[in-house]
Amino acid sequence: MTAKTLMAHVAIPILAAATLSQAHGADFNWKKFQGKTITFLANSNPISQALLTQKADFEKLTGMTLKVDTYQEQQMRQRLVTVMNAHSDEVDVFMTLPSREGEQFAAAGWYADLTPMTKNVAGNYDFAGLSQALLKAGTFNGKLTSMPMNIEGPILYYRTDILKKCGVEVPKTIKDVQAAAKKLKACDSSITPFVSRGLKPAVAYTFSNMLHNIGGSYMANGKSNLCSPKGKEALETYSGLLRDYGPPGVVNYSFPQISALYRSGRSALSFESSNELRTVMDGGARLKDTGLAPFPAGEAGQVPTAIGWGLTISAHSKQQEAAWYFVQWATSPEIQKRMALQGIAPPRPAVAKDPEYRKWIDEAPVRKEWQAALDVLATKGSSEVGYPIVANPQSREFIGQAVQDLILKQKTVDQACADADKALDALIAQK
Amino acid sequence: MSDAQTTDRWIRWLNTLQLVVAGIIILTPTAWMVMSSFKPSFEVTAYPPTVIFSPTIQNYIELTKTTPFFNYAINSLIVTVGSTSLGLLFGIPAAFAVSWTRISWPAILTLAARMAPGTLFLLPWYVMFRQVDLIGSYTALILSHAVITLPIVIWVLLPSFDSIPRSVFEAAQVDGCSVTRILWRIAIPLVGSGIAVSAILAFVFSWNYFLFALVLSNGDTKTLIAAAFNFVGEGSTQWGALMAAATLIALPPLLLATLVQRWLVAGLTLGAVKG
Amino acid sequence: MSQATATLTQDRQRLELSALSAPAVIFTVGMIAFPVVYTVWLGFQSFSSTGKQSFVGLANYSKLLTDYEFWHGLWVTIALYVLSLVLQLVLGVWLALVLFHAKRLHGLVRSLFISPFMMPPVVAGMMWLVILDPSLGAANYILQSIGLPPSDWLASPTLVIPTIALVDTWQWTPYVALIVLGGLQSLPPSVYEAAQIDGASPLKTFQRITLPLLLPTIVTAAILRSVDLLRFFDIIYITTQGGPGNASNTLNIYGFRVGFEFFNIGYASALMLTLTAIVFGAVLAFNRLRGAVAW
Repeated sequence: MTAKTLMAHVAIPILAAATLSQAHGADFNWKKFQGKTITFLANSNPISQALLTQKADFEKLTGMTLKVDTYQEQQMRQRLVTVMNAHSDEVDVFMTLPSREGEQFAAAGWYADLTPMTKNVAGNYDFAGLSQALLKAGTFNGKLTSMPMNIEGPILYYRTDILKKCGVEVPKTIKDVQAAAKKLKACDSSITPFVSRGLKPAVAYTFSNMLHNIGGSYMANGKSNLCSPKGKEALETYSGLLRDYGPPGVVNYSFPQISALYRSGRSALSFESSNELRTVMDGGARLKDTGLAPFPAGEAGQVPTAIGWGLTISAHSKQQEAAWYFVQWATSPEIQKRMALQGIAPPRPAVAKDPEYRKWIDEAPVRKEWQAALDVLATKGSSEVGYPIVANPQSREFIGQAVQDLILKQKTVDQACADADKALDALIAQK
Repeated sequence: MSDAQTTDRWIRWLNTLQLVVAGIIILTPTAWMVMSSFKPSFEVTAYPPTVIFSPTIQNYIELTKTTPFFNYAINSLIVTVGSTSLGLLFGIPAAFAVSWTRISWPAILTLAARMAPGTLFLLPWYVMFRQVDLIGSYTALILSHAVITLPIVIWVLLPSFDSIPRSVFEAAQVDGCSVTRILWRIAIPLVGSGIAVSAILAFVFSWNYFLFALVLSNGDTKTLIAAAFNFVGEGSTQWGALMAAATLIALPPLLLATLVQRWLVAGLTLGAVKG
Repeated sequence: MSQATATLTQDRQRLELSALSAPAVIFTVGMIAFPVVYTVWLGFQSFSSTGKQSFVGLANYSKLLTDYEFWHGLWVTIALYVLSLVLQLVLGVWLALVLFHAKRLHGLVRSLFISPFMMPPVVAGMMWLVILDPSLGAANYILQSIGLPPSDWLASPTLVIPTIALVDTWQWTPYVALIVLGGLQSLPPSVYEAAQIDGASPLKTFQRITLPLLLPTIVTAAILRSVDLLRFFDIIYITTQGGPGNASNTLNIYGFRVGFEFFNIGYASALMLTLTAIVFGAVLAFNRLRGAVAW
């Protein structure tokens, strides 16, 4: 019996010590850094929570101690900026969003180069089994900087019962979404037809999906491209949906409000992160009447936004090799399967097909549709959220500003895109 | 009934009315918070807002299960009591000296640390305390929080010391008292309410401040307030646990305020001396 | 007493007074000298884009002068500051008087009256975010159920500043009240007795006696509120993050985002030092006033 088939029969949390090293590849000396302590700066989200339920497994396997410091996203970034600017070796491993800060952190030299380390893996690590798109998203100037922990992206949550009641088909195209929103508004005025992100720094996450589906691009010939016909179409369509069919106050909306609105049964179509499934289903009211799908196609088909959290090693860490043991363990097929069973979409297609995981998926129809949507994300996804430049986080401000200007009717689309392009060109030119 | 009595009654009635109005405005949101902490998480953002619901202590159980809440509470207590004490120890004599000499630059200097955005200190302090290997220590946290408590103590006490008539001090000086002795024996007993107020304020500010702990603490010395943020995040927003955490966090300052009310309401010593 | 001994006593006295304020001064200098020097140095550096550091002299400061966001942020900061400070001082004095006269109030109830500022600011922000949400919140629900039109609150570019000022006033008025209450307690009762004998009306007593005597305390409260209000951060960060658009983008929020979200530590340092100078100016102005109203 191979280690893999054996694992399929062992109950997950109760692992016998003997099977431990087998599950992680017996050919590999996991105990090389026995006695060392690794410090891990974690972002408090379901991904790290799921990973850390397995902490004891890592400590037992390697004989190392894992010190965890968990903070909420912005706070974690504050601590990280401080620690890294002080060139401190306090943090060995941290979580990062390559799609957001990757270029910037790579340019600042905060990431250790993981490329050579990926050669030093246990036999069953299956490096090739990791999502190639996500690995590429974590590669800057030819250096692999982080290992994917999960896959996520915005997906459409829709109410099957309301659509049925109002005689609306599940939208297949962006035009369908607009038509559905219009029909829903006329059909039931107590329901918000469509909701998505309107908060300035949060807009890029969902807007990028719209832009790519329509066939637009952020940049062309080294210049910002929002005033191109496709760019304007994306701006108008996205802001139009929120302005005409979104909730009042949508300009402050991000995941907490969107999920709360949908969960309480007051919106019909909700375009929000796949990670929010658990929050949306909390309380059970939406379990039976929710359908899930990637965002409907535009002229360019479906180009969903697919990103993931990455696990990386600090360039200032003094024990990078030992830190790699943790990163390797955390992103191994075995651990990612255990995380998947806790609802973390795995960045490995093989794990998504694992029989045990399929069984978990089949327990509820929502989970099935969720994984089906994520499969589309994994195969067709683009990790471009905001401008592919070093100042990516700042570029998101101007995208958000343009969308808000249109939602609040403060500018025409020509003005809004021109102002954004001007600011973004300056940002692109910055060296 | 005389006119004066009628006016008196009117005033008392008016005062009660104002008290009730103020109470409703002030307490409704707080009550909402406490109530929400006993709701299932998804019900906190329900619409229309629910007033009648079946209370649960699940959030509180969740809280103690997911975070080492009590360890964090002890950390917070050590840092807050330490920094408040330090603030009082340095602040009372300084406020007295400033009030006496009317030279105000020391008071302004201590406030300078409060004039800069807190974020300005993060990187320099991290570098500084790393040099002396104090990152993660209570000492670093207490010292950084004393920067917040010290100016509060000084500035709240200033007007209290100012309001003691000079003649009181002059009389003591004629009796041959040193300045320090005047401070201890005469001035401090006279500003009891001021000290009580400054202690409450210093405690609250230190207790609720999270920014410095963010970089100066480590997993073992993390303060309670920094942990409260962890209930907010994509895929993990737990409204119920957040409200439960908030309720528990607000309790210690509230208890302290109740305890020191005695000095606040009294102010009698002063009347006795001055009268 | 001879001239010599008098000088001697005075010297000794001065020495003793210096010794009393010395610990506070030494402690503060020890804690802030390095950060200030370090930040000034950072302000001369550029970290932008490549992440590599280089000395750029005053470039960050000249950028400031032409940066629209800076001037806008300054305007937002001042608008929010004036509105909140006035509301909080007026209501704070009122609340202090109400509480002062409610002598029979139980200690715990009295504490509850000043409880809002004991609530962690992050929680206050989250709570108001839910209450004021135009679609989900209790505020519009209550307005509509009594027949009033709903409002966009924090989501309206024009209403966002007054709304944030209201939220801040809810949280910090009790703080002002507590400081003023401390001042009220230390007022000599004899002055009231004198006023009562004169037969002055309560309003007149307040206007002519209480208020002037309270002014030093009110100025103290104004100074303590000013240093926080001019650095307005928590509630905005949690509710609007400076939006909608940039309608609530205060200088502190802007500086924070530049430094910790966009990672331009050099420009952020310049922004933060400028903000510090503004706060310093406000404190100096109030301190002058404090000297003028002391009695």
